[in-house]
Amino acid sequence: MAADSLTLARPGPKPGPAHVHRNIFQITNFSSYPLTSHNALSSLPRTMRAIAASPSPFSLRLHGELKKTPSPAFLSNKDRSFPAIPPRSVSLLSSRRPDHNPSEDTDEMFDELFNKYGKVVYSSGDRKPTSAEADDDAESLSFAVTLAKTANEVKAADIRVLFVKPLVYWTRFFIIVTAFSRPQIDAIGSRMRDIAEKQFKKVPSGDTKPNSWTLLDFGDVVVHIFLPQQREFYNLEEFYGNATPIELPFDSESPFRY
Amino acid sequence: MIQPQTLLNVADNSGARELMCIRIIGAGNPRYAHIGDVIVAVIKEAVPNMPLERSEVIRAVIVRTCKELKRDNGIIIRYDDNAAVVIDQEGNPKGTRVFGAIPRELRQLNFTKIVSLAPEVL
Repeated sequence: MAADSLTLARPGPKPGPAHVHRNIFQITNFSSYPLTSHNALSSLPRTMRAIAASPSPFSLRLHGELKKTPSPAFLSNKDRSFPAIPPRSVSLLSSRRPDHNPSEDTDEMFDELFNKYGKVVYSSGDRKPTSAEADDDAESLSFAVTLAKTANEVKAADIRVLFVKPLVYWTRFFIIVTAFSRPQIDAIGSRMRDIAEKQFKKVPSGDTKPNSWTLLDFGDVVVHIFLPQQREFYNLEEFYGNATPIELPFDSESPFRY
Repeated sequence: MIQPQTLLNVADNSGARELMCIRIIGAGNPRYAHIGDVIVAVIKEAVPNMPLERSEVIRAVIVRTCKELKRDNGIIIRYDDNAAVVIDQEGNPKGTRVFGAIPRELRQLNFTKIVSLAPEVL
């Protein structure tokens, strides 16, 4: 795929076929694509259609299935004028898992069409080159590991750092931590805030009062502090089972789990 | 634009199926609730054998509205139904999984827990 495309994928317990996710944040010449939420646990009887209207001349409508390919005349129309769009990627293009789609519109088909007919008519300049992305990732990784170490100092149990960037676009790392009492949650939270503020100049949003599930949102890194029952109840590790775990420089396995 | 008497679907597996809004939480007597607002609701329909039962009064966060959500960059998102996620007094979702696409505005409104359970974030 194009190197300058953002990817957004659903976290899920089952890995899909070779390409799992395909969401492209650019304006392309595709006019419709399937967007259905096929969650194995979903009990919604109807598909939800989110209709996104952008100020571009062709509106992107998310229907059930792609019934026809865009006509060559439409695709080769070079006379379109584009209104001034603020410098951010505007459109959404997503295709779901191919085995769920009854009309056989597969990822491979979209790839082929994209390579043959797709033209990047507008891409906003907010995508950084891959080297800068890797630098940002490394920075966030060091931040995440530092926070994990602080949690370890306060005797938090079962610290996991997950790299969720390929699954989720809105953050890079998740840190999941178990604390055994509310004062401990308070302690972990305040230590993390202090370290983040002093060393990395980041202020978190999220829970200020200790909660059975306390969340600290540092932008790139999201910290989840659970009580043991809550951790088992919500089971975030299963939901993000496809994320790569990050090795931590200390032993974070707790001897027993509730 | 959710107001009292509005029926909402439930977008999680907490056990409720349908809610009716009875009050909007917020300062200044708001007339309508939008995505990201907390409402007080009564459960009108529930899945059997779950912790939540019919005619229980609970709080919920609105995650989908038929009324369009407008963003500063010009994107407009309009869903096909009104839906909410049941939360408790501390703000933790009562269910373990959330269904459907969730707009990212919930993250700015401190509902990152719901966003982290979402299968897709628009």
